Amino acid sequence: MPADPSMKVLVVDDMVTMRRIVKNILKQLGFGNVDEAENGQEALQKLKTDTFGFVVSDWNMPVMTGIDMLRAIRADEKLKAIPVLMVTAEAQQSNLIEAVQAGVSNYIVKPFTAETMQEKIAKIFK
Amino acid sequence: MHNQEYKLYEELGALARFVDNAKNAISTASPQILSSSAQLPTAASHLSDLSKITEDGTLEVMRLTEMMQDNHSQIAKDLFAVVEVLRAMDCVGLAGRLGNVTSVLAQDGKYLTEIMTALSFQDLVAQRVKKLVAILDEVQGKLMKLVVVFGLQGSCEAASDKGAAGHLLKQLEESKTTAMKQKVADDILAQFGFK
Repeated sequence: MPADPSMKVLVVDDMVTMRRIVKNILKQLGFGNVDEAENGQEALQKLKTDTFGFVVSDWNMPVMTGIDMLRAIRADEKLKAIPVLMVTAEAQQSNLIEAVQAGVSNYIVKPFTAETMQEKIAKIFK
Repeated sequence: MHNQEYKLYEELGALARFVDNAKNAISTASPQILSSSAQLPTAASHLSDLSKITEDGTLEVMRLTEMMQDNHSQIAKDLFAVVEVLRAMDCVGLAGRLGNVTSVLAQDGKYLTEIMTALSFQDLVAQRVKKLVAILDEVQGKLMKLVVVFGLQGSCEAASDKGAAGHLLKQLEESKTTAMKQKVADDILAQFGFK
């Protein structure tokens, strides 16, 4: 599925179990080069010091939330083009609208299936 | 003028009686208030433990699932190589049957991915537990304010053991140190001749 199999993906979530699940699905989809961050702040540091082609992020995280990280990415000239997929338990319509306004590339509500994630990622990279 | 003063006096009297009744009611409830404020931190701690237990269980299921995925991947590669050889040897029938096995393996691979994804329930559990712990902390803070403002007397430690909640919490607390590990159970069983 990835246009470039060597594309590096950043998975951002404070829960180790969620990072592992997302990494597993990404691996099945052919994304073998995956790095992790525990919150938005750590993710931004990694994004600024390395080259990533795709970010999968949770919303609720300590230190810096996913939505704040997304806004920071879109406000940064060098990072703003990176697709960001939000995977979150925030299932309110207002959250979704907030994410869309902040420039999210797609949005997955937990609990989700592997099929949903595959479908959303396919849409991002079509 | 006298009438107004009398009315004011009456209202102040009613207010004083109301405050006195309220103080009495709070004083009567003080053992329960003290007990609840003492039990809440323990209850919150058990909730956090619950989150940790589900996380540990989830990680173990993940570890085993990933091992199975790796095995599947290796078997699929080997099968593919065998099928290629069989085709080159014109054993089309056998190659076809092994091809079917490959399809079954691929389907199993999808199921394993679904198992991994279904484990995301743990994240939802953890998030809700975190919220519940925050609520308990807030309630405890409010109860403590009541205790301070109304000068409720009594020992929190003694109060925390009272009632059904206190009994259940005590059981939970004891299970942390008294829960028997299988190894200990096996040692005891061995002493009774179990092998």
